[in-house]
Amino acid sequence: MSHSPKKITAQDIELPQNSLWRKLPLIGVALAVIGLGASAGIAWKGGKLHPQFYFSYLVAYAYWLSLALGGLFFVIVQFAARAGWSVVVRRIAEHAMLALPAFAVLFIPIALGLHDLYHWSHAEAVAKDLVLQDKAAYLNTTGFYTRAGAYFILWFVLAWYFWKKSTAQDESKEAAATKRMQIVAGPSIVIFALTLTFAAFDWIMSLDPHWYSTIFGPYYFAGTTLAIFSFISLMGVLLQRSGVLKDVITSEHYHDLGKLIFAFTVFWAYIAFSQYMLIWYGNIPEETVWFKHRGGAWLGMSIFQGVGHFAVPFFFMINRTIKRFKPTLIIGALMVLTVHYFDMYWLIMPTYHHHGPHFTIVDLTTFVGVGGVFLAVFGYGLARHKLIPAGDPRLKESLAFKNI
Amino acid sequence: MAETTTSALSPEIQAAVNADTKTQLDDGVEKRVPLLLGDPSFNDVTEIVCRPVEWTVPRAWYIFFGCAAMLLGVLVLSTAYLFWEGTGIWGLNNPVSWGWAIVNFVFWVGIGHAGTLISAILFLLRQKWRTSINRFAEAMTIFAVMCALLFPTIHVGRVWLLYYVFPLPNQMAMWPNFRSPLLWDVFAVTIYGTVSIVFWYTGLIPDLATLRDRAKTRVRRIVYGIFSLGWRGSARHWQHYEKAYGMLAGLATPLVLSVHSVVSFDFAVAQLPGWHTTIFPPYFVAGAIYSGFGMVITLMVIARKLFGLERIVTLRHFDNMAKITLLTGSIVGYAYSMEFFIAWYSGNPYETFTFINRAFGPYAWAYWIMVTCNVIVPQIFWFKKARTHMGVLFVVSILVNVGMWFERFVIVASSLSRDFLPSSWDYFSPTIWDIAAFVGSFGLFFFMFSLFVRFLPMVSMAEVKTVLPKADPHHGHHDDDHGDDHHGDDHDHGDDDAKEEEE
Repeated sequence: MSHSPKKITAQDIELPQNSLWRKLPLIGVALAVIGLGASAGIAWKGGKLHPQFYFSYLVAYAYWLSLALGGLFFVIVQFAARAGWSVVVRRIAEHAMLALPAFAVLFIPIALGLHDLYHWSHAEAVAKDLVLQDKAAYLNTTGFYTRAGAYFILWFVLAWYFWKKSTAQDESKEAAATKRMQIVAGPSIVIFALTLTFAAFDWIMSLDPHWYSTIFGPYYFAGTTLAIFSFISLMGVLLQRSGVLKDVITSEHYHDLGKLIFAFTVFWAYIAFSQYMLIWYGNIPEETVWFKHRGGAWLGMSIFQGVGHFAVPFFFMINRTIKRFKPTLIIGALMVLTVHYFDMYWLIMPTYHHHGPHFTIVDLTTFVGVGGVFLAVFGYGLARHKLIPAGDPRLKESLAFKNI
Repeated sequence: MAETTTSALSPEIQAAVNADTKTQLDDGVEKRVPLLLGDPSFNDVTEIVCRPVEWTVPRAWYIFFGCAAMLLGVLVLSTAYLFWEGTGIWGLNNPVSWGWAIVNFVFWVGIGHAGTLISAILFLLRQKWRTSINRFAEAMTIFAVMCALLFPTIHVGRVWLLYYVFPLPNQMAMWPNFRSPLLWDVFAVTIYGTVSIVFWYTGLIPDLATLRDRAKTRVRRIVYGIFSLGWRGSARHWQHYEKAYGMLAGLATPLVLSVHSVVSFDFAVAQLPGWHTTIFPPYFVAGAIYSGFGMVITLMVIARKLFGLERIVTLRHFDNMAKITLLTGSIVGYAYSMEFFIAWYSGNPYETFTFINRAFGPYAWAYWIMVTCNVIVPQIFWFKKARTHMGVLFVVSILVNVGMWFERFVIVASSLSRDFLPSSWDYFSPTIWDIAAFVGSFGLFFFMFSLFVRFLPMVSMAEVKTVLPKADPHHGHHDDDHGDDHHGDDHDHGDDDAKEEEE
C-alpha cells in the first residue's frame, strides 16, 4: 500500500480505564442537574417560572440541538457520498447524533412554557388578531405537539439506526452494514431536510408569528453544519491531547474539517445575506418588522453577526496552515461555536427582550444544563465504544488519506 | 501512434465496457473500482480522446453541424427582423412586459452552472470522476453563457444603445442604476463568462500541446502550437499549471452560487407575490445545477456513443451525474414546497392567491409540466437501473430541461399576468418570433458545440491520466507504460507525494 498507514492498536482507539473522558457521562449529568436546577431555582418567582427561563432555555436548546442534528447530517452525508476520508472522525459525529432522543425529554420545559414563549398559543390573542386566525390551521397547540412528536420519532429512528449499525460494525467488520447504510442514507437526507425545516419554523420562526421567510430552514441548517464541523475538530484535538487517536486523525483530516468550516461559514453568510438583502430591498412592513426588532439596541449584535459570524472566521480559516495546525484550528472552531450561540440568541431573544440584549445568569445556567445532557450522552457513547469505526471497510483509506 | 488502434476494441476491453451495472459500479465497499474501463494505458487515453479530432470527419457530424447551422440561421433572421421592427414582434403585453427573452436568459445561464460545478466545486471536493466530463461540461458552460447573453442584448429594443448597460464615463453624466439587479446581472454574467473561459482555456493548454505534437499537417501544428503557449510539459510548467488551476477553481466556486443568486434577485427584490421570497437565491442555484446536469447527460449520452468514449465515460459517471440530478431536483422540489407552504402559512391573501393561481389558474398547464418534470420525473433516479440506463437517462435529462424552462416561464408569466390590478390582467401568448429566437438559440449552442467536438479534445486527457491507477507513483513499481507517451502525458502530480514517502 502506498502510504503505509500505521497499524492501529487497541490503545489508540479506546479510552484508557482511568481516563477523565470516561467520567464525561457523570460530569454531564452533574452539569445538567446543577445547570437546570440552578436555572429553575433562580427563575422561580411567585409560584411559577419566570418567562426569562423559557427563552434562555430555548436558546440553549436550539444551540445544542443543532450539534446533535449536525451530527446526524454529517453521518448520513458521509454514507450517501461513500466518503472515505472521514471515517476516522465519523464516530464523534455519531455520538453527537446519539443525543437526539434526549432532546425529546429536554423538550418538556418548552412544552410547559408554551404560553410564555409563543404568542400564537393564546386563544384570546388569536381572537383579536385576523392574521393569527388565518394561521391557526398551522399554529395551534395540538399541531405543535403532534409535529414535535413526529420530529422526535423520526430523529430517534435515524440516529439509533445509524449509531447501532455503525457501532455493531466495530466487531462484526461487515462490509454489508456499510452498504446498507449507504442505501438508507439517501432517503434519510429527505427526512432530515424536512424535519429540520419544520422544527425551525415551529420552534424559532413562530416566535414572531406574523413573520415568515422561506429561507429560514436553510438558515438554521447552515448553523448546524458549522457547529458540527467545529465540534468534531475540537473533540478530535482534545481526544488526541489525552493520548488516544495518535496518528489516526492527522493534519490531513483537520485540514478537510477546516475547509468545511470555511466553506460553511461562507454558506451561512450567503443564506443570511440572501434573507436580509431581499427583505431590506423589498421593504414590505410585514417582513421588515423582524429586522426592525433586531435594530436599535440590538443593532450591535446584528452587526456582530456579519463580523463575528462571517468576516473574522472567513479570513481566519482561509489560511492553509491555520487549518492544519491543531492549536489554531481549535481557535477557529471555538470561535465558530461561540458565535453560533450568539446567532441562536439573536434569533430567539429579541422576541422577549425588545429593548436590546440582556444577558442574565439563567442564560448561562440553561446553557450548561442542556449542554450537560448532550455531553453526558456523548460521553456515554465514547466510553462504551471504540473511538473510531474500527470495522469500517474504508478505514484503511481514511488512515492513508492525504490532501493532494 | 497508429490511429487505428482504438477503433476496434480488443475482446477483453469490449467485455469490460459491456459489463453489467453490477460489475461496473459494485465496488463491494472495500475498494474503489477504477474510474476508467479496461485498464487503459496513458497512450490509450490519448488515442481515444484525439481520435475525433484527428479522424476523417464522419457524415453524422456534417449532418448535425448542418442542422445546427440552419437553426442558427433562424436565429440570425429572427434577430435581424427584431432589430428592424422592435420588440413589438414578440408576444409581450402590458402586464407581461417580460416575456420569453428573460425566460430564455435565465434558462441558458442556468444550464452553464453544471460545468462550473463540475470543474470547480467537484475539483475542490476531490471528486476524481469529474476528470472524464469536466472539459465537456465547461465547454457547454461557455456556449450556454453565450446564448444567455444574447437575450438581454437583443431584448433592449434599441440594440445600438446597449453600451448604456455598462457604467462608462460619458459627457451626459448618465449612469446605469447601481441599485438595479439588472445591472448586477451585467457584472455577474460577464465575470462568469470571463472566468469560465479562462478556466477552460487553462485546462486545455496541456491537451493542445498534445494535439500539436501529434499534428500531421502544418496548419494544425501552427494553430495548436500558438494556442498551447509553448507548453513543453516540464515539471516547472506543471507546477505553475496546478497552482493556477487550483486558484481558478477557488475563484470559480463562489461564482457557482453568486451568478444565479444575482439572476434570482432580478425577481426576488421586487414586491410581486411569487417573485419576492427569501429562498430564491439558493433555489435558483439548485435549479441551475439541475438543468445543467440535464444538459450534460443529454449531450454525453450521444457523444459517448458517437465518439467511442465508453471506456472514459462509464456507467459510474452517469450514476454520479444522475445522483446529483436527483439531489438538485429534490432541492428544487423542496423550494417549491417551501414557497407554497409559506404562501399559506403567511396568511397573506396576495401570496396565497398567486400560488393557487399558479396551480389552478390559466397557467396551470405550465405549472404542472414544471412540477412533473422537475420534481416527479427525477425521482426515478432513486433506482440504480434508471441511473445507468442510457435510454432512461436521455429521456429524463431532456424532461429536466423542459421542466426548467417552464419553471422560469411560470415564474415570469404567472406572476406578471395576474398582478395587483385585476383590470389589467392579461394572458401571454408567444408569437412565431418568440419561438424563432428561442429555437434559434439552440442553433447557436449546437453550432458551437459541434465545432468544439470537431477541433478540441472533449475530454481532459491530462487530468484523466492523473486518475489512472498507473499515475499513482506507488502503483506496482513498473513504469513500462511511459514508453510512447507524448509531452502532454507527463505526470508530476505525484511528486509531492514521493517526497513525503517514507519508504
